[in-house]
Amino acid sequence: MPKSVIQRVSVLADVAVQGRFGADKGPPGVTLSVRHPMSIVTIIARKDQSAALSKAIEAAYKCPLPGIGESTGKNSISFHWCGPDQYYAIAQGKADGELYRDVKAKLNGLASCSDQSHGRVILRIAGPKARALLAKGTPVDLHPSVFGPGKSAATQMAHVGVHLVQTASDEFELSVFRGFAENFWEWLTEQAEEFGYQVL
Amino acid sequence: MAGFRLGKGGLIDRSSNLTFSFDGKAYSGHQGDTLASALIANGVHLMGRSFKYHRPRGVLAAGAAEPNALVELREGGRREANTRATVIELYDGLVAKSQNRWPSLNFDIGAVNSLASSIFVAGFYYKTFMWPKSFWEKIYEPMIRRAAGLGSATHEADPDKYEKSYGHCDLLVIGSGPAGLMAALTAGRAGARVILLDEGSRLGGSLLSENEEIAGKSGYDWAEGVIAELGSLANVSLMPRTTAFGAYDGNVFGALERVNDHVLEPSPYEPRQRYWKIMAKRAVLAAGAEERPIIFGGNDVPGVMLASAMRTFANRYAVASGKAAVVFTSNDSGYRTARDLKAKGVHVEVIIDSRKDAAADAAGIPVLKGRTVADVSPGKIVTSVELSDHTNIACDTVAMSGGWSPVVNLLCHKGAKPVWNDRLQAFLPPNTGADFIAAGAANGSMLLSETLREGAEAAAKAVGELGFKPKAAALPKCRDEAFNAQPLWWVKESHGKAFVDYQNDVTPKDLPLAAREGYSSIELAKRYTTAGMATDQGKLGNVNAIAILAEAAGKSIAEIGTTTFRPFYTPVAFAAFAGPFTGHHFMPVRKTPLHDWAEELGAVFVETGLWMRSSWFPLPDEEGWLDPVIREVKATRERVGICDVSTLGKIDVQGPDAAEFLNRLYCNGFAQLEVGKARYGLMLREDGIVFDDGTTSRLAPDHFFMTTTTANAARVMTHMEFCHQALWPELDVQYVSVTEQWAQMAVAGPKARPTLQKIVDDVTLSDETFPYLAAKEISILGGMTARLFRISFSGEHAYELSVPADYGNLVARAIMQAGEEFGITPYGIEALSVMRVEKGHVAGSELSGTTTAADLGLGRMMSTKKDYIGRMMASREGMVAKDRDAVVGIRPLDNLGCLFADAWLLAGPGATEKRA
Repeated sequence: MPKSVIQRVSVLADVAVQGRFGADKGPPGVTLSVRHPMSIVTIIARKDQSAALSKAIEAAYKCPLPGIGESTGKNSISFHWCGPDQYYAIAQGKADGELYRDVKAKLNGLASCSDQSHGRVILRIAGPKARALLAKGTPVDLHPSVFGPGKSAATQMAHVGVHLVQTASDEFELSVFRGFAENFWEWLTEQAEEFGYQVL
Repeated sequence: MAGFRLGKGGLIDRSSNLTFSFDGKAYSGHQGDTLASALIANGVHLMGRSFKYHRPRGVLAAGAAEPNALVELREGGRREANTRATVIELYDGLVAKSQNRWPSLNFDIGAVNSLASSIFVAGFYYKTFMWPKSFWEKIYEPMIRRAAGLGSATHEADPDKYEKSYGHCDLLVIGSGPAGLMAALTAGRAGARVILLDEGSRLGGSLLSENEEIAGKSGYDWAEGVIAELGSLANVSLMPRTTAFGAYDGNVFGALERVNDHVLEPSPYEPRQRYWKIMAKRAVLAAGAEERPIIFGGNDVPGVMLASAMRTFANRYAVASGKAAVVFTSNDSGYRTARDLKAKGVHVEVIIDSRKDAAADAAGIPVLKGRTVADVSPGKIVTSVELSDHTNIACDTVAMSGGWSPVVNLLCHKGAKPVWNDRLQAFLPPNTGADFIAAGAANGSMLLSETLREGAEAAAKAVGELGFKPKAAALPKCRDEAFNAQPLWWVKESHGKAFVDYQNDVTPKDLPLAAREGYSSIELAKRYTTAGMATDQGKLGNVNAIAILAEAAGKSIAEIGTTTFRPFYTPVAFAAFAGPFTGHHFMPVRKTPLHDWAEELGAVFVETGLWMRSSWFPLPDEEGWLDPVIREVKATRERVGICDVSTLGKIDVQGPDAAEFLNRLYCNGFAQLEVGKARYGLMLREDGIVFDDGTTSRLAPDHFFMTTTTANAARVMTHMEFCHQALWPELDVQYVSVTEQWAQMAVAGPKARPTLQKIVDDVTLSDETFPYLAAKEISILGGMTARLFRISFSGEHAYELSVPADYGNLVARAIMQAGEEFGITPYGIEALSVMRVEKGHVAGSELSGTTTAADLGLGRMMSTKKDYIGRMMASREGMVAKDRDAVVGIRPLDNLGCLFADAWLLAGPGATEKRA
């Protein structure tokens, strides 16, 4: 199949411009970045196939399926619980549609898979003030004693549904519907101003 | 008159010099002052006019309960009415104005109301302005509203930012006085997550204002030590300038943080205020107690003050409220004021104690026992008091103490009523369970040692229940002040006007009147007399009012009880509730993947739900909407048009039972739909009314791509969840919204096919390869996977093309380029509407929740061969009646004039109906 000449364009390409913004005393409280392009696939277990699906994922990707409110895997491929028997598979560095076709083939008969790579925008928020920033939007308690790397939650921030994942001790990823991304970015950056923020 | 600043002491920075203005006149004060303390220091005692009688008023309290000294703070868009001078932290450049006076605070014409006060009794408005009834709305009410009322709101936009935030903790401690500090320290040392908040500008509560001795040092020094330790604990958050204003279900608390109310202008990066929702596993109310006034003639004359307030001004702000004070008390705490004033060098003329057997330490100040103050000389400042036995005493300030009321508010917000305690002569907080408990003065414990112990014990119990192991706190030794009190609500020998509720000008005579007229329930009496209403909600005089009403009604105070406590403890600005969600952030804006493309072409957008949709694409020389719409329709009908239809709901439906699932959801058949084909589907509600419609395609035997109307996308998804989870859990079907994954565009018109042919790889589009209702995955633009559907809403030869969203703008531009030679024209949803109406396709306005399939001319779609949602109910008599409304098409016989939406069509003479 010939490679299309058209490249993917992030919805935030013109909005999330690099630089240092907000309060400028000391190092930035948070850094923000748009992870793009990403591959995202919704995986929903077929009836009575949860256990088989779990085994198949583990065999195919050397990574266990996450429990409720959890995430597993690395940048190459990660899985995130997003509802009863529902998961996101997320990967970077793959060709368009590649992850979808791969997952669909490997989970044939065990799960229904839908490509969402273009439908959700993933933002990475890192830094010492990441939690304080997120607390302005989500009612989920992100304190280390409750949350932590490997946890994920479906929540709402600024009236928009958000899937939130903690990826490292001071690092989180949010995914929102593409159509809301620009509005969400405006809200997020305004809330980050008091900490000073760097867009990578 | 000036020189009320004491020579030394106080928590003020005398090296700072802050300039501010009140009613246009410039003054100066110090860092650490409030507006109230700075004004008093400058000899300004008159700060406002009362609500009804326009009586001159000064400061009564020193904190949040202040009913009199309400001012308009700041100017322009930042102006804020009814702001309590006692809680406004002084800053350089502060501007404040008095309220409810004309032409000036010093000379206020409205004060003539006082002369007619005998007719302005409770219920006056209701009795007087009854007739003629038609006068109420146009004449009486506007007149009353002009005469009464306090400050006025600004009409300018607020230039500042407001934020919201969520907080979580094991223990929330409300109030940072001795009980709160001990609670936070006990829980903090045990490792629990603690939030300690206080409405004051700095932590310490009463220890900032009182002469206490704890652990061998001053109460203030002890507090500083504890606060420093708390500040060093990572698990403790300290939140001064934060008021917990409401307690809600699930131990959720609302709080307002005044981040930048104490500066002239907030930094552009910071909010003025932050609205918190705090989820607390446990909470301790350590809000202290509020001193009560005594009701006697002229108890509102500037210079009359709560004894604790006078003490606070002297100790914390180094301000004397006068040169010669009289203390009038019914309990021991009045003596503290007398002693503290004396120690600060303020002359105390005499202590008047209503108790015959009083035995508190007066430090050599004369005490008149078993006596009461009947009247204060009227005017703009106190000059003397007259006792009930007609003794006259010259003075310029009067401290009064009618006992203490625990601040129980938050513990009553969920509906529980406080409990009267005869020994303490106070309402104590109700027991509402272990999640939220009171400690210290808020719990009626008036001795410092009790307060410290209760704070520690409450926290130990609370965090102990959560699994922490708090150490038995070593309670610091402290000096206790004896506390003995006898009730004294109202000095009946008074001649002058006395006030139970200052903010509403309610007198003690209003309450017996309410009882006589049948309003002896406290809830009714509150509404009838307005006692306990307005911004202070009766924080000071409510208990006096209850006691006076009880006596008049021949009941006990416990029987009368209190009115209902509700949030908000103190007023919260609307801006704080709105937070950052104002202007175009009021609701989230949702943009389609073709937004940039449409914007480049000059689209005019319209909000449909949250989506921004392109309505039409005016050319530079076109004005209004009609010309571009007509041009767009014509171009599409004659050549080719392209329209963004990405907002349609799109749902991926998969699984072995997907076909069966759809067959039950839609009223027409889907079980037999061939792979590679699309079909128009109509969904009914359970009651037989049309719910939604859309085109659904079969991409594989177990894979369907469903579309819904824009408006119903989420509702259809919810409906599917309900049907699957509750009605047919046995079906093996999975579905997920893919609305945002796909950019979808309609390409319609006689030249649609040659246009698309130019971007499609490998396939020749023809009626054979791509017949009507074909739905296939194809490749475009040299390798991009897309989906092409040959469907039409416009009635023309048309396609809908779906591409992954990140490609949307580029693909739309490529199609524009491909169609250039055919005169391709972008069209918006207005032109789309025109075309669908011309072709008789139904849309949102016909799927109005009142129409049946037959009403829409779609009755024959309802299958007779299968069951589906809505089948039974759709056959009810009224649903199939012959005389139901029906959707019809209308074509004008001439082209003159136009029909507007909601126009009524009336049959002219000789007209005959002809149904299509």
